[in-house]
Amino acid sequence: MTLVESPEKAPERTASRRLPAAMLALVGVLLALVLANGVVDASFFSFGQLRNTLLLAAPLALFAGAQTLCMLTGGIDLSVTMTATAVAYVVGSRAAAGDSTLTALLLGFAVALVIGLINGLAIGVFGVNPLIMTLGMAAILTGVLTAGSQSFLSGATQMPQLVLTLGRGTFLGPLPWNLLVWAVLAVLLVLLLRRTGLGRLIYAIGDNRRAARLAGVRVWQVETAVYVIAALLGAVAGILIGGRSGAVDLQLAGSFLLPSVAAAVIGGTSILGGVGGYGGTVIGALILTVLDTMLTRLSVGEAFRQFIAGVILLALAWFYVSSTRRASARRSPA
Amino acid sequence: MTVTASPVPQLPPPTRPHVRAIRLLRDEAWTGALAVLLAGLLIWQSTQVFRWGAFELETLFVSTLPLVFLALAQTVVVIAGGIDLSVGAQMVLFNCVSGYLMLDAGFGMSLLYAALVIVLGMAVGVLTGWIVTISGVPDIIVTLATGFIWVGVALWIMPQPGGGAPDRFRELFTGTGTAFWPALLCIAIPVAVVWTLLRRTRTGLSIYALGSDPQAAFLAGVDARKARLSAYALAGVFTALAGLATTAYTGGGQASLGVANTATLGAVAAVVLGGVALTGGVGGLIGPVLAVWCLFLIPANLLTLGVDPAYGEVVRGVVIVLVVLGGSLLRRKWSRT
Repeated sequence: MTLVESPEKAPERTASRRLPAAMLALVGVLLALVLANGVVDASFFSFGQLRNTLLLAAPLALFAGAQTLCMLTGGIDLSVTMTATAVAYVVGSRAAAGDSTLTALLLGFAVALVIGLINGLAIGVFGVNPLIMTLGMAAILTGVLTAGSQSFLSGATQMPQLVLTLGRGTFLGPLPWNLLVWAVLAVLLVLLLRRTGLGRLIYAIGDNRRAARLAGVRVWQVETAVYVIAALLGAVAGILIGGRSGAVDLQLAGSFLLPSVAAAVIGGTSILGGVGGYGGTVIGALILTVLDTMLTRLSVGEAFRQFIAGVILLALAWFYVSSTRRASARRSPA
Repeated sequence: MTVTASPVPQLPPPTRPHVRAIRLLRDEAWTGALAVLLAGLLIWQSTQVFRWGAFELETLFVSTLPLVFLALAQTVVVIAGGIDLSVGAQMVLFNCVSGYLMLDAGFGMSLLYAALVIVLGMAVGVLTGWIVTISGVPDIIVTLATGFIWVGVALWIMPQPGGGAPDRFRELFTGTGTAFWPALLCIAIPVAVVWTLLRRTRTGLSIYALGSDPQAAFLAGVDARKARLSAYALAGVFTALAGLATTAYTGGGQASLGVANTATLGAVAAVVLGGVALTGGVGGLIGPVLAVWCLFLIPANLLTLGVDPAYGEVVRGVVIVLVVLGGSLLRRKWSRT
C-alpha cells in the first residue's frame, strides 16, 4: 500500500505467499503423472515399481537440492555431479584398499568439503562467475578422475557393504534406504532455508546482493557455506548412486547434471536468485522421475523423451515468470 | 545521452582518453598474448614431433573447425549480454540434418542443402532469441530447455549414427591431403563478414550496446529486441556452420547429448579464454578462435611429453578459472581508480 510497508516484504515471505498456488499446480501435475503412469502400466503401483522410482528420485532430488541452494544465491553449481563421482571413486577405492567403511566415507566427505571450499571461496571472495568456476572445477575433476582411474583411484569396483545397503537396500515395504537418507536431508534443508539465519541470508543475497552487503551480510561467508553444503549434498548423492550401481565409473553421475537444474526450475526456484525453496524442488525431481519412468514404460524413443523434457522445462519456466510478472504488476500500482 | 553512445559505460567517465587507451591496449593485449601463447605451443609441439609440418597444422585447424564455429556462435551471444547453452545441441541438430540430406547427394545439391541448413540455423537462432525476449525466462534456462529439444529432434531425424556427404563437399572444409588453408579460409570468411557486421553496422553496435548496459542502450534508443534477435541469428549461422563442418569432418551425422554438452562447455571455455567478458559488451572474434586452438594444443602437447592427456583437462579448467579470476580482479582494481 504505502512505501513504508514495502521494506517489510522480505523476499521469502512474498515468495511463500505466492507459492501455495504454484505448489498446488505442481502437486496436481505430479498426481496426474502418477495416475497416468498407473493407467499406462498397472504394475506401477506395485512395491517393486514404486521402489525403483524412489531409488531414482533420491539422488536427483539431492543434486537438485544442491542446485536450489546455489540458485537461491543467484549462482549455479555445474561441478556437483563430478564431485559426486569423485567422492564415489574415493570411497570405492579406499574400501577396496582395505580401509574401514567409516574411514572411506570420511575421506570421501573430506574431498567434497575441499571442492566445495575452493568453489565457494573463489566465488565468494574472488568474485569468479559461478558458472565458470564450477565449469572449470568440473573440467579439473574430470581430468584428475580420468587420469586417476588408471592409477591411484583404480580398483574402485567394490563398494563397502554399508554403501551398498544404503544405495539399493530396502528397509520397509517399497521404501528404500536411500529414501530415508534423502528424507532426513530434505527436512534439514527445508529447516535451513526457512528457520535459520543462514537461510534468510541466502535469500537476501539472491534477492539483492549489494543491498545484503550494505546491510552488513558477510556475503563471502554465506556463499562459501552454500557451495560447501552443495558439494556435501553431491557427496551423499554420489555415495547413494555408487551404492546402487555397485561400481564406479566416470559416467556415474554426469547424466544428473542438467535434470538437477531442471528439477529446481520446475519447482519454482529462479536462477536469478532469491525466489524458490526446496519443497518445490522435491516435487520437481519427482515429476521428472515419474515422467521418465512413464516414457520408459511407453517405450517411446530417446528422441521424444529429450524433446518432451525440454518442452516441459520451458513451459513451466515460462509459466513461473509470467505469474511472477502478473503478481508484481498487481502489487506495484497499489 | 552522449555517455550511453559509447559501448563502454561500466567505467565512470568512459570518454577519458587514457581510460579508453588502457582499455584498447588491454583488449588488443589479450589477443596478442593469446597469439604468443599459441605460437609458443606450436613451437613446443614442433620440438616434440619428429617431422613437424603441414600435417600437424592440418590436424589442428581441421579437427577444431566445428568448435571454432561454436565458440564464435557463443561469442556473439555473450557480447550481446546473454549466454547460449544450446549451441552444442544446435550443432548436433545441423550435423544430423545435413548428414541426412546430403547422403547420396551430388556436389551441387549438397551446396544447396548447405545453404538451406544455414538458413535453418538462422531460423533456430531467431526462434531462441524470440523465446528469450517474449518469455522473460532467463536465457540459461531457455537454452537449457531448447538444447534438450534440439537433441531430441536430431535423434528423431537420425536415431542411429549415419548419413553422409559427397567427398567434394567435405573437401571444401577439410581440404585434400595435408592442405590446411581451406579450413583457415572457412574460418576467415565468416569471421570477416560477421566482424564487419558487428563493428560497422548500426545493428552490430547495438549488440555491443545491449551487452554493455541494457538500460543505457534502451535509453539511447537501441531496439533491444532487434539487437538480441540479430545476435542469436548470427549465432545460429555459426552453429549451422559448425554442424556442416562436423558433417564434413566425420563424414556423417550422430545425435548425441554427450557430444552436444561437451561442445557447449568447450565453446564457453573458449569464449572466456578468448577475452570475451561474460558480463557482455566486451570482446572480439579473433580471441575465441585462438583460444580454441590453444585449448586443443595443450592436451596434445602433454601427450607427446608422456603426460596423461587427461591432465590436459585439468590444465584447461585451471586456465579458465584463472583467466576469469584475473579478469574480475582487474575489473575491481579499475573500478576503484
